[in-house]
Amino acid sequence: MKKTILVCCGPGCIAYGGLDVAASFREQIATLKMDVKLETVIKQTGCHGFCSRGPLVRIMPDDITYYRVKPRDTEEILKSLDNKPVGRLLYHGVGGNILKQQETPFYSAQKKLALRNVGEIDPKNINDYKARGGYEALRKALTMEPEDIIAEIEKSGLRGRGGAGFPTGLKWRIAAEYDNFPKYVIMNGDEGDPGAFMDRALMEGDPHGVLEGVIICALAVGATKGYLYIRDEYALSLQSMKDALADAEKAGFLGDSILGSGRSLHIEVVRGGGAFVCGESTALIESIEGSIGEPRATFAYPTEQGLWNKPTIINNVETFINIPLIIDEGGAKFAETGTPTSKGTKVFSLAGKVRNSGLVEAPMGMTMRKIIFEIGGGIVGNRHFKAVQTGGPSGGALPESLLDLPIDFDTLVRYGSMMGSGGMIVMDDWTCMVAVAKYNIEFLAKESCGACVPCREGLRALSMILTRICEGKGEPVDLEIIKSICELLTQTSRCGLGKTAANPVMSTLKYFPEEYEEHIKEKRCRAGVCSMGRSTVVTDSADMAAIVAMAEAARKVSYGVQSKDKTGAES
Amino acid sequence: MNIVIDGKTCEARPGEYLWDTARRNGIDIPALCRHDALPGRGCCRLCIVENENAVGSRSVIVSCVFPVTEGLKIHTRSEKIIRFRRILLKLLIERAPQAEGVLLDYCREYGVAGNGELFNDNTNEKCILCNRCSRACQELGNSAIQVTQRGIDKIVASPFNEPSPDCIGCAACARVCPTGAIACTDTREQRTIWNKTFEMVKCAECGKPFATAEELEWMKPKILDFESNLAYCPRCRGRHVANSAMV
Repeated sequence: MKKTILVCCGPGCIAYGGLDVAASFREQIATLKMDVKLETVIKQTGCHGFCSRGPLVRIMPDDITYYRVKPRDTEEILKSLDNKPVGRLLYHGVGGNILKQQETPFYSAQKKLALRNVGEIDPKNINDYKARGGYEALRKALTMEPEDIIAEIEKSGLRGRGGAGFPTGLKWRIAAEYDNFPKYVIMNGDEGDPGAFMDRALMEGDPHGVLEGVIICALAVGATKGYLYIRDEYALSLQSMKDALADAEKAGFLGDSILGSGRSLHIEVVRGGGAFVCGESTALIESIEGSIGEPRATFAYPTEQGLWNKPTIINNVETFINIPLIIDEGGAKFAETGTPTSKGTKVFSLAGKVRNSGLVEAPMGMTMRKIIFEIGGGIVGNRHFKAVQTGGPSGGALPESLLDLPIDFDTLVRYGSMMGSGGMIVMDDWTCMVAVAKYNIEFLAKESCGACVPCREGLRALSMILTRICEGKGEPVDLEIIKSICELLTQTSRCGLGKTAANPVMSTLKYFPEEYEEHIKEKRCRAGVCSMGRSTVVTDSADMAAIVAMAEAARKVSYGVQSKDKTGAES
Repeated sequence: MNIVIDGKTCEARPGEYLWDTARRNGIDIPALCRHDALPGRGCCRLCIVENENAVGSRSVIVSCVFPVTEGLKIHTRSEKIIRFRRILLKLLIERAPQAEGVLLDYCREYGVAGNGELFNDNTNEKCILCNRCSRACQELGNSAIQVTQRGIDKIVASPFNEPSPDCIGCAACARVCPTGAIACTDTREQRTIWNKTFEMVKCAECGKPFATAEELEWMKPKILDFESNLAYCPRCRGRHVANSAMV
């Protein structure tokens, strides 16, 4: 019987040596050829999600998953293929070892719609995607009227996964109604939130799934030119999407006449300019046009005046990957999952002080408690949960009392945070919430485009004030200044970055006011994070040199390092 | 079409921005980045006003880039708008305590003062990053200067801060600057701007230096047959043209 070995080669597992494991499997199969009777295929797949236990190796069709596999384990695994599984590499559950991925607590509560192919297929192989029903949705869409495609998307209740949650079907309908050609479709793959890697996993693990969504969108709105705007730091994603484009074009899914239908679509990849703000749709458009990546000041939406002032659809990677699924199975089926206002699932990147960090896909409406304590396995080192930051740097930190809130677009906004693109950073009681707010504000101050005054100068002021508070120099009046600047930011900024930039401060101020009070009145940081002006801070290079010398001396003592380097000179 | 601004019914023209409608109707809205000759940018945010919808709820909009539509109901000096403008002015004067001109007038009008020590350690700054200079340069077709960096590190500069080959020394940037932030030193012989020094051309009639050689070179193809007029300063040029017409 033919067996397939899937080796996770997502960014996390590559860092843990996933590529070496895959190479070692190939080597071992070649040397053990005589002993192995089964045909084994090695596939380098996209991210399996369980990054904290990588590299992951999955044996199909037996569905056995091994964790933290090293190259030296590959021989043992290959020899065990028709015998007993290698026990020490399995997931150690409460009731013993667990063979199947789906049965581990990390996977069992998840529902994989967007990630349906990620980790299952070799992203470099278009036939793998086709074998799992890929491009069938496109064939179906070609037989449908654009109006019917849009109606199906509207029926699904799909909302934009980039953060704002605008109804996708409505967006497409608006763009489709303008009689102004050519129209454009843009995929926003400029994922920039610290600690977020959902879009990356999708582009690297299932590039054809994303691409198929883009093509169907173009058919629905009548676009003839597409752009895939991908963050330049994501070298793997860029390569993966470029390869997928070439393969799809060769197979006739793109080009002058898609599958002989006479409808044409040409797509090119645009490398992002390295700015967080270019994830904002109008800044992204400016960037593609070759201008500085600053959001536009106009009151017109891209659906009316987008790229080169033509109607343009911009959707997030995760939005697009849901499209083939909706066309395949129907909007009504998709709408069965989720809450009344937010349908389907959402991919989160679970990070921070949580045991099982990684990529998680949960149905909308799941509580944060379930995601963090069931899927995530609780807090590292059994410490106390303090807060979870959702929605990236411009989201908010929510306290334990709100953990039972269902996650959907509207609930999170109501409580001062937002869904954002799906980052979820868990913090324990060793985290200082003032320092967290300061970190996020400093990030935003550097990444703001700097065009409008409230955002540029307001964030500079907030960052200065928060720094003062963390250094123990805060005064009670500072909180009033913070509040008024936050109000200004929210109401007068030019784009979404500025309008949401106050969230990290306002939410920590609302849910953790006592920490601000302590910092300002008692000059005390309960988490022990802020120096409050007392600790020795390295200020000049002479101090630095002294500290390096001390560390060096300590190292020599503890490891017995000889004081000679390779050239024989005294160090 | 008609709109209501601060309770006054104003006649508005299709395609016009709200700020212009207000000005034509005698209602002054403060603005720093807006300039008649330049496309709207909406970055200083001083021209914010409140837009009241049919059910009476209000939202803040930016009047210099907001296209007028029939039946708008606008409040330009509500309590909230005044409060926001004061914070904006405070942020600006703290950023650029050495700024000259209209920013100071606004600060006086709104009762705001600052010395650059509150949120910043840079007390020598004049620039408020309104982008008038770079837009003027772009509109003239030279694009010798542009904003560079982003966020709180943003500045206006020539490429890599080196003398730009595209700069013709016309000093249009300095002329549109609302805060006197652009250093332009003129002597009888030379002009220095953006790290580049230009020779001045003197008027053939009165002898006054009036333009750089590069500027005149740039103007040449644009004025076709009147090349000889470029020898005169704008003031003498008029007299010269009139004289030659009478001959």
